[in-house]
Amino acid sequence: MKDLEFFRNISIGQYSSGDSLLHRLTPATKYLWLFALSIPGAVGGISGVAMVLLLALCAGRGAGIRPAFLLRGVKPALPFFVLAAFLQFLFGWPGDHSAALFTLGPLSATAREAAAVGMAVARTVALMVLLGVFTSITSEGEIAHGVEDLLDPLARLGLPVHRLALVVSATFRFIPVIAGELESIVKAQASRGADFGTGKGGPFARARAYLPLIVPVTVRALERAEVLAEAMEARCYTGKDRTRWVVYPKVRGEDAIRALALVFCAAAFAVDALLR
Amino acid sequence: MGSRFGVRKIVVTGALGAVVVALSLTQLGYIPWISGASLSVLQVPVIIGAVIEGPVVGILVGAIFGATSMVQAVINPAKGPIDVFFVNPFISVLPRLLIGLLAWLAFRLFRGRLRPAAAAAAGIVGSLTNTVFVLGALVLAGAIPASVAGAVLVANGLVEAGVAAILTAAIVAAWGGVEGRRGKARLADEES
Repeated sequence: MKDLEFFRNISIGQYSSGDSLLHRLTPATKYLWLFALSIPGAVGGISGVAMVLLLALCAGRGAGIRPAFLLRGVKPALPFFVLAAFLQFLFGWPGDHSAALFTLGPLSATAREAAAVGMAVARTVALMVLLGVFTSITSEGEIAHGVEDLLDPLARLGLPVHRLALVVSATFRFIPVIAGELESIVKAQASRGADFGTGKGGPFARARAYLPLIVPVTVRALERAEVLAEAMEARCYTGKDRTRWVVYPKVRGEDAIRALALVFCAAAFAVDALLR
Repeated sequence: MGSRFGVRKIVVTGALGAVVVALSLTQLGYIPWISGASLSVLQVPVIIGAVIEGPVVGILVGAIFGATSMVQAVINPAKGPIDVFFVNPFISVLPRLLIGLLAWLAFRLFRGRLRPAAAAAAGIVGSLTNTVFVLGALVLAGAIPASVAGAVLVANGLVEAGVAAILTAAIVAAWGGVEGRRGKARLADEES
């Protein structure tokens, strides 16, 4: 319960302001690179994943973010990587006939299991660093505006791009409001003897203890949404056209940087295919 | 999609998305349960969105849920044994898009009857969708073996589905009462 005050000034992301080239890129370019790198990072082979990890670490360096900061999530995750490996080795895969690397009691590591664990860990680390860099150089406003800019070409196909961007802005707008609601509800319940977190009893008894928390917070959120929708409609707002006046100036060679993102994505898969 | 995705749906999506983010950041969305494992109720706002505003809202709130768990895995890892793997969007985001869609289909199937009962059905289906597809993605990614996924499905998934059913029914019933009293925003059905 000591964290109650923290709710109000909740922060998402880990933006650190700076003036590096990466910081000055337009939000759309940042998104483009994020997607271009996360595809080979998530589905590519080992060499593609290695390329993504290396580039993300270099990008972090260029943006003035220490590698230790980006990799700080890896250290607490180490026991879980070990646990994941342990579970893989404990339970065999059906139809796995690859050579056994070692056997220790019920544990047997086959080459295929070891490769699966290695890939899962490599992928996780690469994507962790990549997302860490992205969230460090992209502010909340840029996250919302970037969606709009990136999808802008699709607006011509009839996709309601401005409305989707408005969804992102509305979410950011509502987060402190909802966090404040949560705070007052938790305090109100706590003052009446409610105990969140250490409750005893079966799962359904505990779920019932959460009813007076989840139900009012959701209903209050819906009520607030209703009021906001009515206010916007009363002002004839339809979300149809662009109503944003922030312009992100392109840095020199921004278009080339955008094209490079797609080239890199293709190259990662090409290198994978060549080395296979 | 243009005219059907009006201001009202945009704003409801944002509000429910913010509920997911707030519950996740404050850890209140996880009900502590036996031996450190916790039951997640973060899928409930997604299901609510699908039930009261339709599949598009459900899918979008699901996307916000997925993005939140992806970012959380980077910024605030080490909550549970497999959380780190949620940095992979194919584990964290893709399965969550299906929650709203399937929950909405379940709700449609049982609509007509008692509304809270239909909402409870949507809660069960939506929650199981989350469990099954996330576990499936984890197995495909090599994070956990299939036999462990099966055990988690039985031990955690079924209870989570029951909890989600209770919460969804309660919220839909409560919101129905509020809505009946006050009425929808007047212009909600006008073409924008």
